Amino acid sequence: MGYVQAGYTIVLSLLFLYGVALVWRRRRLTRAVERVVAADAPEPGGPTVDGR
Amino acid sequence: MSPNPSVSAPPVQSSRARWTTRVIGITAVVATALTVWLGLWVTPPDQVQGNLVRLVYIHPGVAWVALYLAFGLAAVSSLLYLWPRTRSLFWDRLAAASVEVGVVFNICTLISGSIWGKPTWGVWWAWDARLTSTAVLLVLFLGYLALRRVPAEPEVRAKRSAFVALFAAVDIPIVHFSVLWWKTLHQGATVLNANLSPTIHGSMAWTLLLGFLALTLVFVWMLLVRFRIGVLEDWLGTGELDVALRERQAEGAPIDEDEAA
Repeated sequence: MGYVQAGYTIVLSLLFLYGVALVWRRRRLTRAVERVVAADAPEPGGPTVDGR
Repeated sequence: MSPNPSVSAPPVQSSRARWTTRVIGITAVVATALTVWLGLWVTPPDQVQGNLVRLVYIHPGVAWVALYLAFGLAAVSSLLYLWPRTRSLFWDRLAAASVEVGVVFNICTLISGSIWGKPTWGVWWAWDARLTSTAVLLVLFLGYLALRRVPAEPEVRAKRSAFVALFAAVDIPIVHFSVLWWKTLHQGATVLNANLSPTIHGSMAWTLLLGFLALTLVFVWMLLVRFRIGVLEDWLGTGELDVALRERQAEGAPIDEDEAA
């Protein structure tokens, strides 16, 4: 039964860790996009991109 | 500062797409937990293999996802990218996402197979046709992922990656038919055999099928998330360095050119 437990543990752990890494990467990139969009947006009432 | 000129609008994901991804993820977790419960505690030991048969509930499932779903989808997507009438970076992103997830499942296939092989054959590894062709498949698709990291224009990268994916995909039928073409240690197909007559029955068969379904759902969830990562990466820039630079620029931090170089 030791081999069976090892097999399930390793396979499920690998899939779980990869899943967590995917979620972390997606969250990091989503925040980066949000920051870029916020930095590009003109401030309300402030000067516009072309300076007028 | 402007984003990647190839994609102008920010890549906003609809709430429906987020909801669908979440539902698939939750269903995948529940189905996998059910498979583990049935596989480890409910199903009986096999007359010949004893408790080792329990590894069969996950090993063919991960192999099915890696070989047929992930790498098969990558091959089809690559073909659709190369076909002039369907050429779109969508297919390239789908192929890249599919290969990355497939590589993880391929590693799981080799590890679970090796753990089953040790008590059954007496060795962790044998240069058997099925095992070797599966390992070659992993190396080929690792090469695909390495090639994608070589800096190039998106269209150039997509084209060369598509050719490599199609070249690597030639190994898929070799893996599948290796147990028929050569004398191998590995057993023949249990479900997808020549007669399409499964040689497993009762609770064992249902658990095996549930394992296939659960791991397929895990694959679909991972594919959706990885595809979304590709969309976000393409919008921000092509590489990790671009993403890091954009993050720092957006934060208003001064960029050390030496460090960036």
